Amino acid sequence: MKRVGVFICHCGSNIAGAVDCEKVAENAKSFPGVAFSTDYKYMCSEPGQELIKKAIKDHKLDRIVVASCSPRMHEPTFRRCLESGGLNAYLLEMANIREHCSWVHPDDKEKATWKATELVRMAVAKVLKNEPLQRSTIPITKRALVIGGGIAGIQAALDIANAGHIVDIVEKEPSIGGKMAQIDKTFPTLDCSACILTPKMVEAANHPNINLITYSEIENVEGYVGNFDVTIRKKARSVDMTLCTGCGTCMQKCPTKVPSEFEMLMTDRRAIYTPFPQAIPNKPVIDRKNCRYFTTGKCRVCEKICPTKAVDYTQEDELVTQRYGAIVVATGFDLFDHSVYGEYGYGKYKDVITGLHFERLINASGPTMGKIKRPSDGKVPKDVVFIKCVGSRDEAKGKAYCSKTCCMYTAKHATLVREKIKDSNVYVFYMDVRTPGKGYDEFYTRTTDQFGAKYIRGRVSKIYEKGDKLIVRGEDTLLGRPVEVEADMVVLATAMVAQPDAAKLAQMVGFSYDQDNFYTEAHPKLAPVETHTAGVFLAGACQGPKDIPESVAQASAAAAKACGLLSKEEMPTEPIVSCVNEAICAGCGMCVPVCPYKALDLKVIQERAHGKTITRKVATVNSGLCQGCGACTVACRSAALNLKHFTNEQILAEVDALCL
Amino acid sequence: MSDKVKKMQEIAREILEKGEAKVVIGWEKGTHWYLSPPAFIDKPEEVERLVWDDFCHNNLSKYLKDYVNHEGKVAIFVKGCDSRAFNRLLQDKQIERDKVILIGIPCHGLKDQDKAKELGENADIPKAKKCVECRYPNPLVYDYFIGEEKALDEVAAASEARDFSDVEAIETLSPDEKYEFWNKQYERCLRCYACRNVCPACSCRECIFDQTRVGWIGKANNASENQFFALTRAMHVAGLCIECGECERVCPMNIPIMLLNKKLIKDINLLFGPYDAGVDVDGKLPLGHFDKNDPEEFM
Amino acid sequence: MSVKEAQANWEPKILVFACNWCTYAGADLAGLSRLQYPPNVRVLRVPCSGRVNPQFVIRAFQRGIDGVLVAGCHPGDCHYVTGNYFTRRRYLLMQRLLQYVGVDPERFQARWISGSEGPKFQQVVKEITEQIRAMGPNRKLRDAQ
Repeated sequence: MKRVGVFICHCGSNIAGAVDCEKVAENAKSFPGVAFSTDYKYMCSEPGQELIKKAIKDHKLDRIVVASCSPRMHEPTFRRCLESGGLNAYLLEMANIREHCSWVHPDDKEKATWKATELVRMAVAKVLKNEPLQRSTIPITKRALVIGGGIAGIQAALDIANAGHIVDIVEKEPSIGGKMAQIDKTFPTLDCSACILTPKMVEAANHPNINLITYSEIENVEGYVGNFDVTIRKKARSVDMTLCTGCGTCMQKCPTKVPSEFEMLMTDRRAIYTPFPQAIPNKPVIDRKNCRYFTTGKCRVCEKICPTKAVDYTQEDELVTQRYGAIVVATGFDLFDHSVYGEYGYGKYKDVITGLHFERLINASGPTMGKIKRPSDGKVPKDVVFIKCVGSRDEAKGKAYCSKTCCMYTAKHATLVREKIKDSNVYVFYMDVRTPGKGYDEFYTRTTDQFGAKYIRGRVSKIYEKGDKLIVRGEDTLLGRPVEVEADMVVLATAMVAQPDAAKLAQMVGFSYDQDNFYTEAHPKLAPVETHTAGVFLAGACQGPKDIPESVAQASAAAAKACGLLSKEEMPTEPIVSCVNEAICAGCGMCVPVCPYKALDLKVIQERAHGKTITRKVATVNSGLCQGCGACTVACRSAALNLKHFTNEQILAEVDALCL
Repeated sequence: MSDKVKKMQEIAREILEKGEAKVVIGWEKGTHWYLSPPAFIDKPEEVERLVWDDFCHNNLSKYLKDYVNHEGKVAIFVKGCDSRAFNRLLQDKQIERDKVILIGIPCHGLKDQDKAKELGENADIPKAKKCVECRYPNPLVYDYFIGEEKALDEVAAASEARDFSDVEAIETLSPDEKYEFWNKQYERCLRCYACRNVCPACSCRECIFDQTRVGWIGKANNASENQFFALTRAMHVAGLCIECGECERVCPMNIPIMLLNKKLIKDINLLFGPYDAGVDVDGKLPLGHFDKNDPEEFM
Repeated sequence: MSVKEAQANWEPKILVFACNWCTYAGADLAGLSRLQYPPNVRVLRVPCSGRVNPQFVIRAFQRGIDGVLVAGCHPGDCHYVTGNYFTRRRYLLMQRLLQYVGVDPERFQARWISGSEGPKFQQVVKEITEQIRAMGPNRKLRDAQ
């Protein structure tokens, strides 16, 4: 016989003021299974909890109903109380007679008492079907994975490594550095980007706790918090990293020239190459799509010239699997393809470029050695037009969101043009100027007041060529009249967008992303670097447009979260998870796509049937991944899946009890 | 004997003689001229039992569930609806494709058994209702095909679009009239579960209505429990029903079960876009995924 | 008590399946804010609206509940990421099916109520209670007892 104890709390006058608690306690005595029932002024207080513990002993109670405030408030309190009274914490049910009863029905004591009685009856009916549940623990693998080797990934890796944990950075390009490596100067201080980034790259490369896995991609992710099994595809570099000294002779002798992605296709690299001179690791890879040997079978110049015989054409992609305790996703962003804007003539006009092209043009190590020369004929432009919000804040053709960084980098570009070309004129077409950030508005003010950039509020409706000039036609909405500027070069501030393979990675790791494929944080305010998947954290622009300081701050935050996890040997798991009755499960797999955590899978079991051994498939729940939502239980038609603590039997008992 | 039956028997004999399959499932003549129940043939000399006529109603794919643990392959004949049922069971991972040999038969539509019984052998017997509305008369998947040239022997769909006029007729009733209608139907239900047993969408190992421990359903036979059964079963086959109409055919009380199933098919198509169960084996099930832009009615 | 008296004393009973993270929290907030509503509502806590099996709803009607509300987080806000999208699909169908077999639309409803929508919780349960009160006890799908 199950023996339920019912404890009705007065909560001072909070409950007792509207509910006749003594009567509820009296009524409860007649409910099936109830062995003891009482009321008390403050059940959560020390004497209240002692009362429960004593009653457990004196009346041999084996499950408890506390009718008081919301379980969202004191369920943990009373669970602890049960545990110290010698009962399993999950043999508790609470009836919420404060928030859901006394506080909302203060004027009708009879009805409120009736309702409180029914809520207690529901709780008693449920608790009779509660089972003791055990929290278990899962071990934490003390190794972190950072996906993406841009500034956010590097910062996160450094912070985790400095806390004493091993970190692997997986970067798909041959070098770490990301977009920041392409940038010339950074706002609002005009520090040289390379001067602040490259030391961090070197620090990461030399850190005893950091392994760089460049030219590699994530192939598969399995497992759960503390125990992610990640398969990494190390793409064939065709260069033996252990033999190569990075002397660069091969890159000088390679006969094949390919437009350099790093230089925005404005100059060439070789087929065997490092993306940029400060690359880390500074050892080349062979671009097999363009390499003469790989395309025609002849050449082998680099192999012959290499003094250490490091070139190896027979290398193949290698798959390695490693277990990690935590994952930081820092895959960054891509730039909006603005070829949809026919009015800006992209593709047709060589001198209409993007902000990132411009970064390379003003960069001392760029294709023009830092001299601003326009791409078409190498002339120094005198009149430069900048157009902001190309793809941003444009639901019709681009993205609805603000890309956040363009206002500031356009101001920076305008300043740099005015600084480098003394007799230049700079025009900026804008919708709004948004400069929240330390020192940002001051910088913008200097751009207009000190450097004399001319800001024109309005959209550009057309750009067309006239001789060697570009005519930019738009409207000055402040003056309410059309404007036309003769420009030598036009720079578009294109929107930041998610990486093209962002959704694929999110699906692989198992977390969610928004309609623009930016990764979704667990809570926009209170959990901004966590994902809904425990153990997976976000850093940088993969979560949404961000500038460098924000990316770095978020990376350090994600690192702190990862370190918090890795500092533990093991972590407790919530026992409220789904479970499978294998005898009933037909293995149809309808539960699998419903689970948001990839906690469900099918496995093959063996059993005896009709005198022989047969195999069949059944569902299996990974309790490390399951968060206990119960969606699978409804997808399962035969009720082979059930959610512990919220079982079908328990919910049906509550429904039935309510109807008595 | 028609050419088709000859061909059926030839293929079945060949399959059994060569040992490609241990058993061939087809139809044979039953106790009455208007009945053609399933035949399970495991000896080449017995293939002459096989028939193909206007009453081969049974959806044979469901019987494959009985053979999952048998060694060797099973060969079955499939009409359009049997092949959709086959796809359904495949999609539910209840059978393995390479353990089954499918012999496809294009189907011109079968005749109404009850009317046949009533009108007699020489009368002009109307087509079964499910066949009048059939949109997939040809097998969607098969290894052998009964017919010389597939293109010539394929049958035109009896109907291009679904006919929901029967569902709509109920939808226009008042809530009380609707309840009256259905209550009358389910007062008669015996809960014999024949509808479930014959259904290719019901592929559970143990149906919840057989799970007495949980107490999903009471033992009492009354309209309330029977409706719990009917509504639950309708929801359980939502998005899975292939409209073979077998549930309704086998119901001893002539309850219009397809009127419930068709209501859900109608709404699934209306709310979530066109969907035909058992056509695309790799597709997502209507209740196995969602669209963020699904209709929003719960503001 | 005579039948007439019993009818006069009839109080509707409304069952609310509330997800723990949004609607249950919204109901708690209604309490904290002392927003009054009729005492005819019983909240049954589930982790997620996706946990609410349609069979629970039919069972409630069988046993004599006069109205059922299934409520959860707004689409996009589910604590379990996607649970309520499945709820929406399932109950879009279920709602239509129940109406098709004659259950009055007022008797089964679904709503999105967030943890910050205490006033919405109050308003919704008030509305439903008044609708059901006007309609009288539910006799449809009820078992014999």
